[in-house]
Amino acid sequence: MAKFIQHQLFYPQSPEVVWGYLTVPELMAQWLMPNDFKPVLGHEFQFRTKPMPALDFDGIIYCKVLEINPFKTLVYSWQFGPGDGTLHDSVVNWTLTGKDNGTELLLIHNGFDRTDTPIFAAMNAGWLQNINKILQLINAKTDGTTPA
Amino acid sequence: MEQHRLDAFQVVADPSRRQILHLLTKDSLTINALAENFAMSRPAVSKHVKVLYNAGFISIEDVGRERRCALKQDGFKDLQKWLEYFDAFWDSKLKKLESLLNDKTTKK
Repeated sequence: MAKFIQHQLFYPQSPEVVWGYLTVPELMAQWLMPNDFKPVLGHEFQFRTKPMPALDFDGIIYCKVLEINPFKTLVYSWQFGPGDGTLHDSVVNWTLTGKDNGTELLLIHNGFDRTDTPIFAAMNAGWLQNINKILQLINAKTDGTTPA
Repeated sequence: MEQHRLDAFQVVADPSRRQILHLLTKDSLTINALAENFAMSRPAVSKHVKVLYNAGFISIEDVGRERRCALKQDGFKDLQKWLEYFDAFWDSKLKKLESLLNDKTTKK
């Protein structure tokens, strides 16, 4: 099971140009979502999109600038929920690298609540096989034999 | 008796419940066998087991006089759906950014 999201793209524009699209609210709104971002450490802001009741998502993403290093890195928290006050944690990390007259943009969206724990690591390896094995064992045992 | 149904994230936020899940990745276990791994009382362990069961993380089978717990995939799918949703979300947004930047270049 994947624990984080990663996307890497190359844009033929300079890191300064790409940075603008990550940090100027009007430019961010053009491709991402309406927001009240400010390139200031600790600034709290929101993204707004349409609610998705099927996903228990009210359409508001609560963020806070955690790290900002102009033209290089930008990290903000990314919390979301159904609108009843409970929020899921996660973190969005942007890294820009100037390369071949353009910019390599790396996005890592991670820290989904407690997904970085050993249980999830354990599940990565052969999760389904384990489930099937366990289910088979249970099925074999429901015929009245004593569990081992 | 089920006061408040916890979502998948709240369920795994509790360290005891995470440990129960971790123990169950190795083998299915009875509630008594699980309880042996904890300092808390058997009823307390049983309560955590119930939370995990309600959230679809584990199955409980009656085997003789024992109740045997095993991992179930549903609860994890709930977590997985968010990862999948935002994965697709970023994929489409970053492509939008790409076409936006391309337009900008051609217009120059």
